[in-house]
Amino acid sequence: MKDIIRQQMSITASSMDVLNQQIQMESKASASYLAMASWCDQNAFGNSALFFYAQAEEERSHMMKIFKFINDSGGNAISPEVTDINHDFSSLEEVFVTALEQEIEVTKAINGIVANAKKTDDYAVENFMQWFIEEQLEEERSIRDILDLFELMGRDGIALKLIDERIKTE
Amino acid sequence: MEVLYTSKFYTLYQAGHERCFYLDLGQKTIRLSFCQFLALRHKVMSISIESHFDSDLNEHGFEMLILCNKEHFFILNTLEVLDLKCLIDHSFSLIEMDAENVFTQ
Ligand SMILES: [Fe+2]
Ligand SMILES: [Fe+2]
Repeated sequence: MKDIIRQQMSITASSMDVLNQQIQMESKASASYLAMASWCDQNAFGNSALFFYAQAEEERSHMMKIFKFINDSGGNAISPEVTDINHDFSSLEEVFVTALEQEIEVTKAINGIVANAKKTDDYAVENFMQWFIEEQLEEERSIRDILDLFELMGRDGIALKLIDERIKTE
Repeated sequence: MEVLYTSKFYTLYQAGHERCFYLDLGQKTIRLSFCQFLALRHKVMSISIESHFDSDLNEHGFEMLILCNKEHFFILNTLEVLDLKCLIDHSFSLIEMDAENVFTQ
């Protein structure tokens, strides 16, 4: 009966800490996508707005997935505080570039969680994170595809309208 | 009940049969379920010690600690906060090292 912590929690404390940081990050990503949706709505890029609304919900679902996982493993999931959301963008392209940069940061953080899990022999967490690794590949790719449209079609008023029309909303 | 770690001011005990912890904070000893222990860890780890050295952020260098769903209330000074951080840190690494040793023994 020595190790009470191990008896009550199936993940390591350090995994729990980095997963709680990830909850924070997913939640911030969700809020940040909402700000992007708002900008697109206000600038009459309807499809882009729908794209970001959907992304915002997806990020929230990622957050919830991790939140539940921590609690189901006997840990203590911490409800995140989100501040400093940027609402200012100078162009539609900048919105998508920011989105891609944000996804890349998330990918790095997820890789960090896996690296930490490997280091501490926390196979449950390593296994749980596999889904996120694939999800990140998918998300980075979908935004890169949109950025390619700017190279292809240009950046003037009509081109932007056409790009917006080509953005898949589901 | 066995001692897990003794820091300068505090002692943490583990009560195997009760599956809980006891923390002797000097003024009193409190009982912590595992979840309460995790919550304590989170609260103590989130205290920004830097703010204790900035009179705009923390004028008097005190920290209020409310534990176990508001059952206990403590006021700690800078040295006590540092000591408590140290105790939490050490106990967790001790316990996790113990868990790893199971495989190497
Ligand atoms: Fe995500
Ligand atoms: Fe994402």
